[in-house]
Amino acid sequence: MAPVRLRLPASPVESSLEGRAFVFSAFSVAVLAVVLYGEDYVVPIIALAATAIGHVVSYRERAQKRGIRRQVLLAGLVFAALAYFLADSVGAIFGGVLPQANFAILLVAVTSFDLKTRRNCYSSMWISLAILYLAAVYAWDYPFGVLLALWAICLAGFWAASHLRRMEARVTLPTKAVATALGGALALGIVAFFLIPQANLEPSGPVLVSLPNFVGFRGEMENPALPLIQLSGDPSGATSSVDLHYRGRLGNAPVMYVRTGAPAYWRGLVFDKYENGVWTASKHSYTVLQPYVPPRFLPPAPPNNNGTFVQVFRVMRPLPGVISAAYPIQSLYAPVSALREDAYGTFRTPDVLRPGQTYSVVSYLPNITATELSRDPYVFNPPDENQAYLDRGTLSAEARALAERVTHDHSSNQYELVMALTNYLQQNFQYTQQLGHVPAGRDPIDWFLFDVKQGYCEQFATTEVMLLRSLGIPARLATGYSTGDYNPVLDQAVVRERDAHAWVEVWFANHGWVPVDPSPGFPALAATQFPNHWAAAGIARLIPHLTVGAPMAVLGSLGALAAIPVGVAIALLVTLLWAWARTRRRRTAAARATPGESELLRLYERVQRRLGRRRAPPETPLEYFHGRLPSPLPEGERELLGELTEAVNEGAYAGRWPEPSRVRELSKRLS
Amino acid sequence: MAWLYLLAYWIVALIAVAFVYALWNRGLQGGLRVQSTESGPGSPMEDLPERVLAGGPSVPVFEGDRMQVELRIDSGHGTRGPARISGAIAATPLAAAAGVIPKQGWAEVRAMGPLRRGPVGAKDWVLESGDPLGLFRHRGPSFDSELALVLPRFKSLAERTQTRELEASLAAPRAGSGTEMFGVREYRPGDPLRRIHWRSSARHGELIVREFEPPGVQILGIFCDPSPATPEVADQIARVAASEAWDCLRGGGRVVLWAPGAEASRPDEARSLWALLEWLARYPYHPDVVRPLPPRVGDAIAVMSTPSIDIDDALQGIRQRGGSVRAWVVGETELDSDMPTHHAGLEWPL
Repeated sequence: MAPVRLRLPASPVESSLEGRAFVFSAFSVAVLAVVLYGEDYVVPIIALAATAIGHVVSYRERAQKRGIRRQVLLAGLVFAALAYFLADSVGAIFGGVLPQANFAILLVAVTSFDLKTRRNCYSSMWISLAILYLAAVYAWDYPFGVLLALWAICLAGFWAASHLRRMEARVTLPTKAVATALGGALALGIVAFFLIPQANLEPSGPVLVSLPNFVGFRGEMENPALPLIQLSGDPSGATSSVDLHYRGRLGNAPVMYVRTGAPAYWRGLVFDKYENGVWTASKHSYTVLQPYVPPRFLPPAPPNNNGTFVQVFRVMRPLPGVISAAYPIQSLYAPVSALREDAYGTFRTPDVLRPGQTYSVVSYLPNITATELSRDPYVFNPPDENQAYLDRGTLSAEARALAERVTHDHSSNQYELVMALTNYLQQNFQYTQQLGHVPAGRDPIDWFLFDVKQGYCEQFATTEVMLLRSLGIPARLATGYSTGDYNPVLDQAVVRERDAHAWVEVWFANHGWVPVDPSPGFPALAATQFPNHWAAAGIARLIPHLTVGAPMAVLGSLGALAAIPVGVAIALLVTLLWAWARTRRRRTAAARATPGESELLRLYERVQRRLGRRRAPPETPLEYFHGRLPSPLPEGERELLGELTEAVNEGAYAGRWPEPSRVRELSKRLS
Repeated sequence: MAWLYLLAYWIVALIAVAFVYALWNRGLQGGLRVQSTESGPGSPMEDLPERVLAGGPSVPVFEGDRMQVELRIDSGHGTRGPARISGAIAATPLAAAAGVIPKQGWAEVRAMGPLRRGPVGAKDWVLESGDPLGLFRHRGPSFDSELALVLPRFKSLAERTQTRELEASLAAPRAGSGTEMFGVREYRPGDPLRRIHWRSSARHGELIVREFEPPGVQILGIFCDPSPATPEVADQIARVAASEAWDCLRGGGRVVLWAPGAEASRPDEARSLWALLEWLARYPYHPDVVRPLPPRVGDAIAVMSTPSIDIDDALQGIRQRGGSVRAWVVGETELDSDMPTHHAGLEWPL
């Protein structure tokens, strides 16, 4: 058995200077992306300079054999880059910003001194693509597309330069045509990007974007709330409670970027104990988990859920050590030494989340619809036997009476009741962030319900929780962030300080904790839904009457007449197909040989092969017949050759090709 | 991730556009042409009179010359590119490519040579066009052709002492005073003024005289060895035969070339130096199935490397008809014949 060769075929030496310039340009684009979006400067800039020198050295010495000393040196440098990567990732010795990208950049810088073959150049291109991908994790705006376009142009440039060099042609091309083609390709790509739905892939786990640092937990559990209320002076703005008497100032600065498969509420802490206008958590137990929490350590998937989706969070400002994410969580990964899961299912990190830090979460998308929830029976027993979920505290009799009154006609099922109360609050109270202090001695809920009749999210959520509890329905306060500025094209959300939010979680027998939002301007049932992945639909929504569904709606309004435009479209399509087929048939018929022609010429070729001498191109059939042959022909064959020659002459010069039967007869005589 | 989709779409779009570009870039035409020649040392070109050159091919090529071949790509629809033309000329692979093919076409000149006698074949020439990225390629049908015919060198042998000694034995045909006019030639001192053809003289800018069939002129037959041992011997036989033919033609004679088993040169081209050179350029010939008879000539010269019965028989016949014969032998072979014989090695000039 022949031995199997496992080696790749040899790659030719890349002699195209222009091609190498494009490879270097592609790397420069990737480095620029890291500098701009990763805010990482030192390593990329040094590596860029080294790579420029490396390319010059590689081009000059491209024809020379690789020396063992240089190979050893380069291998050593690669290992040094790897050591840097480990040191930076684990110990954050060099700042810990994008260690993977820095490693890849150093790898390109080192190997740029050994770019001899075309395959080497391709390797460099693909590493620069990987660098670009890492930068893309941090890219949250459309200008990043310009860098992508530049990289694609560099790739095309490398292909073209390399190809022309292989052809031994100068690297020049028809300027207008190439510019048109390039512009067309870029436009086509953008159109495809906007028109083609992007596949919503089933995630297998959280995306790993960085390695953990090893700062450990200090002390016991705290409840660092999100910066809704700034009381304690914690640098992160965290407190361990939510106090309705005070409200922190909320600016426009982004606190985090979220790359997400679906827009959702990013839930942080939940509170179950309300006392004197202050929310706290009644349970302080926790479970310590590894940075990667697989599904087996988490509650089972919600029944009839709509799948899962990934979120990658990039922290922009110091945040409390709480994992904000869409709930319920399927799995998660955070770049920390360990995680703690509290009694309410929220995850905490050992230290505050610092700018630049990322974490990734995979969440379920529960099937929460009005129809589904309406089937759930009333719940009177709190989950986990936690009576705090039903504790109405010092809720006034006036407030309880209000709850009874609002829900009096909506008590057929729990969902209807909850929605009645939510809609009542949304419709009869005003949302404002300019709220004064609660007067001393006045209950914040009563003050909200009966005095000012306006408030911010805490007021609305707290009131609904307490009113629901007064009706015997388990509920709690959830805090975190609303979706933020969601971009359906880029599948990302920019979450700002002002998106800090509080809402209600209501316990349903078959669906667990369901988010409900009584704040005006928010959906009453805060259920997460997959976005319409037709990016164009996202844009079209900005223009009235141009949604994707509009044409169908127009067709539907025509009733039976809707068949007419569809019929016209089908008829047009059939006509075009018929015209195309007819043109094709005509062209094929025109190109088809006359009957007898191809048969005769094939026979003539056969005879020439048999005689041992092919007719020379400038030789006419008659000259061939009278010409020299390797061996004398028997008289019968000479006569046959004469007849064939005459037939070929008549066909070629007079257009009179013989009937196929005549050719068959000649063929029979030959055999 | 959305960005990866965008990049993927751009790469796919590049491939799609490259396909369209490759379709647009079709319809080019390639061609080959001998642009010029550069005479090698000892080329007969310098000795040939203008009048003779005027009757020959536009770019005559002799062995030892260098040749400039133009590889051309034409576009009938405006600027196109890239394209590549490649193939082999005389078994030498050649290729040329351009990124841009202007509307007026693109050409590149390649030098070849020194050339050997015989046909210069262009084989497997093919034109390729495609997109700039090299993803899609269109290959036109390949074509073969005879690019040039390299003629044998020749040099007048009339000055050679040995030849002069033999002059007496062979009636050299000369322009005589017969009545049948068979051509014109340049004026030579001693020609009667009444033979000057004034119209032709005015056209050519030099004196031209009418030539008449000399009385009793015979056609000179030059019989070549049917199977020379080596290509070098064949080249030398062709050179000697061409030289003898040239001397005869210069003297106003006619020449018919023949090799046993091959068709003789055409009698109506017996006064054409170029037709005779072309016959000799293709020499030796594969023996024909129907062995043609030797041409009927008055006198004959045999140019051989080994004895040939067919040539001996032909010469015998000429002798019997009263014609004169002599022979050239390339190599050391001795002929068993009483006819005057010259010997030549493989060096040229003799």
